[in-house]
Parts: sequence; C-alpha cells; structure tokens
Amino acid sequence: MKVPENFLYYLSAHADCNTRLLARAGEFTAQELEVLPNADAKRLRKMVFEVLGETHRMKAFVRLKPQGGAILHGYLKPRHKIAERVCDHFARRNPRTIIVLGNGLESWTALFCRGRIMREHGAGLTETLEQLGSALHDVGSHGSNEGEREGNEEAKKKCGEEIGKTSEEEIRKEGWEKGIDAESIWKAYYDSQYCPERKNLRVFRQRMPRRDQESAGLRLLESKENATLEDFF
Amino acid sequence: MVTLEKIAHLANDCKFDSLGPASQVDREKLSLLGGGTRHDVCASTYSPRSPDMPGICHSFTQDGRCVSLFKTLYTNYCSHQCNYCTNAANCSQKTRAFTYTPLELAGITLSLYRRNYIEGLFLSSGSGRNEDVVMEKIVETARLLREKHAFAGYIHLKVLPGASRSHIQEAMELADRISINLEASSPAHMNEMSATKNYETDIIQRQRYIRDLMSKTDHKAGLPAGQTTQLVVGAGAESDVEIFKRILYEYSEIGVKRAYYSAFSPQKGTPFESRAPQQKWREHRLYQMDWLYRIYHFQPHEIHHAFDENGFLGNADPKTAIARQLMDSPADPNVASYGELLRIPGIGPRSAQRIIALRRAHPIKGKTELAQMGVRIKRAAPFLKINGWRDCTLQMWSA
Repeated sequence: MKVPENFLYYLSAHADCNTRLLARAGEFTAQELEVLPNADAKRLRKMVFEVLGETHRMKAFVRLKPQGGAILHGYLKPRHKIAERVCDHFARRNPRTIIVLGNGLESWTALFCRGRIMREHGAGLTETLEQLGSALHDVGSHGSNEGEREGNEEAKKKCGEEIGKTSEEEIRKEGWEKGIDAESIWKAYYDSQYCPERKNLRVFRQRMPRRDQESAGLRLLESKENATLEDFF
Repeated sequence: MVTLEKIAHLANDCKFDSLGPASQVDREKLSLLGGGTRHDVCASTYSPRSPDMPGICHSFTQDGRCVSLFKTLYTNYCSHQCNYCTNAANCSQKTRAFTYTPLELAGITLSLYRRNYIEGLFLSSGSGRNEDVVMEKIVETARLLREKHAFAGYIHLKVLPGASRSHIQEAMELADRISINLEASSPAHMNEMSATKNYETDIIQRQRYIRDLMSKTDHKAGLPAGQTTQLVVGAGAESDVEIFKRILYEYSEIGVKRAYYSAFSPQKGTPFESRAPQQKWREHRLYQMDWLYRIYHFQPHEIHHAFDENGFLGNADPKTAIARQLMDSPADPNVASYGELLRIPGIGPRSAQRIIALRRAHPIKGKTELAQMGVRIKRAAPFLKINGWRDCTLQMWSA
C-alpha cells in the first residue's frame, strides 16, 4: 500500500481525525509521509492506511441485493467516514441503478446516470428503502398525470436515451436471470474452491477480519460451534 | 437538492426482474466445474486499463486464497491424458461430464458481478473432443459479456494447448489477461506428466503466438494484463534450477507478466495418486526466487547461489542464502546504493527507499531507526555495519 497523492482526503475520513491533525498533515507531501520514520509521519501514515484498508475491504465485502426493479441495496456500517465513497463506487459500477447502503441508523443513496452522480444521505436503511419503494411506486402509478408526466419526461431527457437500455435490461428481455439465485450459486461455487490440503485459518482471519465482515454485514462462520447469539440476529 | 423522489424518478425505467429463489442452475455442475479450477492460481487481478482496474480481493477461502473471480471450467470433459489431473481421460475415478453454454455462463457471471460477489471471470476448460470447438465457446462467452452486455469486469481466459492462432487472437481482443499452463519445465518432464501434450508445439508455440500478436497490436488496446503461465511443482522429478531456467526463458523470450507455481497434490484415481504430495514450502520458496528476479532485479548468476548442489532450494529464505555467499563485507546503510541495500536480507524496496530518504536529512545512527523504517533487524543485522559498528552473530556463519 502506498500513500496516495490525495492522502488528506483519506485522512479527513478517519474517525479520529481533527483539524489540528489535518493542519499537521498538510506540512507533509505524500512521498515524505511514505518514507519519513518520525512518530508524527508514522501515525498519519497509519491513519491513512486504516481508511484506505477499510474502503478497500468494504468495496470487496459488501453484497448487494435487488429490491424491486431498480434498486440494489446492501448493509454497511463502517468505522470511518467512507460510506459515500463506497456507495459511489457501486453506483458507477451499476449505472442507472439506485444503490442504497446503510444500517439501522443511517443510509447512503447514489445513482450514476450519464456521467453524473446523485447522492443522498438519510435515515436508516429500511426507512430509506421504504421511501424509495413508495417514490418509485408513485412514479409508476401516477406517471399518467400531466404534471408528473412532465417531470418524468424531464428526468428522462436529463438521463438521455440511456435509461432503460442497460445491459441489465437486455438480460431481463432475454430472461437469463430468471431463476438465478445468486446467493446459493455463490455458496456452491465458494465451497468448490476450498482446498482442504491448504487450510490456513490464520491467513483467512487476517484477510477477512471479523470486524470488517461485521461492518459489511457478512457472517462467514468458521464453525457453528463458535457461533454467538449475534450470528443469528 | 437531490431527494429520494428525484432519484426514484430518474431510475424508474432502469428495471430488471427481481430474482426469485427458484434455480435453474445445476448445483452439481457449478460445483464440479468450479472445483476443477481449484488448483489454478490467479492471485493478481490488476489490469492496467484506462481507467485502471485495481487489484481485487473479495472473499477468501479458509486456505487464505482470494476468491475474486468466478473461476470455472467451461467443460470438465478432456481428451488429454495428464497423469495428475482428475479430468484427464486416463483418470479411473472420473466424475460426470458437464458443459456450460456461453449464454448460461454469461448469465451466471453477470448475476454474481452485479451483486458484488465477484470482480470478473476466470475461464479455463478441459479440451473436450476438439480444443478448437471448446476454445470457440470460451471466446463466445467472453464476446457475449463484453460486446452484448458491456461487461466491464475482469476477464482471464485460459488458452487450451493446441488452440488455433485465430482463436487466440480473438481471445486476446476480449480478455484482460490470457494464459497457457506450462505445467512442466521441459519436454522430457512433460512426457512424464502427460502422454498427449506436445510441449513445444501445443504450449510454447502458442505462447509465441500470443507474444507475436501482442507486439503487433497496441498493448493498451488488447490484453492489458498480458499473458501468464503456471507450473505444477513436484509432479515430476524436475529440480528447482530447471524450473528457474525455464522461467528465465519465459520472462525474457516469451514476455510473460508472471509465473505461478502450484505444489503438486495427488488426486484419487489418477496415475500419480500414489506419489507423495509436494511440500507447500517449495512453492513458497519458488515464489521468493521469482520475486528476487522480477522485483529485486537480482541477476540470474546471483540467484544460482540459492540452489544446492542438486539444484533445489532449501526451506530457508533464498535472499539470505545468496547474501551469505556473496556479501564479502557488511554494508553501511549510510553509503550503500539502492541496489546494494536491496541485497541485504530484511530490507525490501520500500525500506530501502526510506533509508535513502532519511540519510539525506541525517546519518542513520542505529538499528532502532532502521526498525522504524520497516527493516527486519533480526535478518538484516549480520549484514549491516552502522557507523563502523557491526552486529556479528553466530547465525551468520551457520549453514
């Protein structure tokens, strides 16, 4: 891992960052922070790496589930202020699909459309999904009202002709995804990749820290005997 | 002001069917064809495209290996007779033969990709009855993903031994990376492992095709992550020095981005079933040797000092073994060049850079400062002299 040029951005996302620390960090260049062995540089470097590491793992561990036609949502409860960045990442990866990430307390919504990204930070995940569900329902059911149709048309213009012509739409037409249960496919595939002769739980725990699994709502139990009550809620 | 209502309006038309619990994908097929690639290694999935696709890690199995790609066989039916492989024609305990269709495979890949289970597809295969027919299906799968569905994820395609040049070219236009497995270090060892593969024409010649095609096209436009290869270590009687010589050829003449090593593990029903499994540390030491050449830029004649008289690496850090042989006197971190620092055990590229940056400001006074820069003092101390002081231990002289 290298200290990125925009390390101040990452540092500011650290849960323990404050203005004094940012001012101190502003005295360093990325290269200095990378190589200097003094305590200040080491501490700042560690903080930047913690944010980079969590961002990377959340992009990797968060699983998205479809809701209705146009929403993909997932659980996310990061330690640092990285949720918006992670949400943007998934929005760019799934253009013209609403991405909602969040937990019981707050949620982040993003939509990437025609090179622009729209974001919203709001209430808990369930509440946001309900609001979005009813908003989408309203759009669908009252779309014939003149005023709303106007709004819809305007929105369509803004997004251009791309709306509805996504690869996902083509899949829908082909009916490829009908009947594909991604979670059970993943489970069957994940189990098939395991080589018992190479079992190394130390590396497994190091690569998939339990803390980060929890932040992304993952629960990969090593064995049911070690499960706690938390694992079942 | 962006509101949820506005987002809902804009996304209204972007619908796709919700996914029910019903399943049309055969779990046994998925599991067997997925398991067929368990021993294929594809650790690094970095692709220097524009925009860059960073290295990927998604899930890790309990052996600590990353599962970032949907790594599967197109078919497990194979006409080759490889003595170590469960899909080979000469395996006595063959499993049921399965084959995907390009449509089915593309559907599964897209479905897993959109839910962020995977970052891409790694597609290998048995040779079927005719490798060109299977290769055509592999290319068709990649084409469906890339051209029909604008799939932006990573694609790694395996080239089947003996595949035609035109199929290789098509695969190169669609994939981020392609590879063909060497499996053995020489034709003689390949004959020991497989009665049906011709090392020179089926494998090396195909690698040359890829090299030649890459040199003709714009590298960024086609095959951004280049070609790689993989060897089975310990199935035959080859020594590490033979593997090293082959790998040198691969890096310098073929231009592979990197080589992977997979320690042999005997499989039930194969002619090699009774052979002893290869120790995992041998694989690890070969990777260390590989890094010394690629990352630390050691010269081949330097690396040769790591091999014993039988041509094998011991179960010890090869860099330390080389330093014991070649470092006549300890190095002073205050004056040593970057290349000299890299040759000291316990000092890597980043700590070498840090040492150089620090000594510009003030001289390095002791081991504590080096430890703070990430130097592994226990390994490095016998080879260092700091301001005239030297840490001399018996360790250095032990064989």
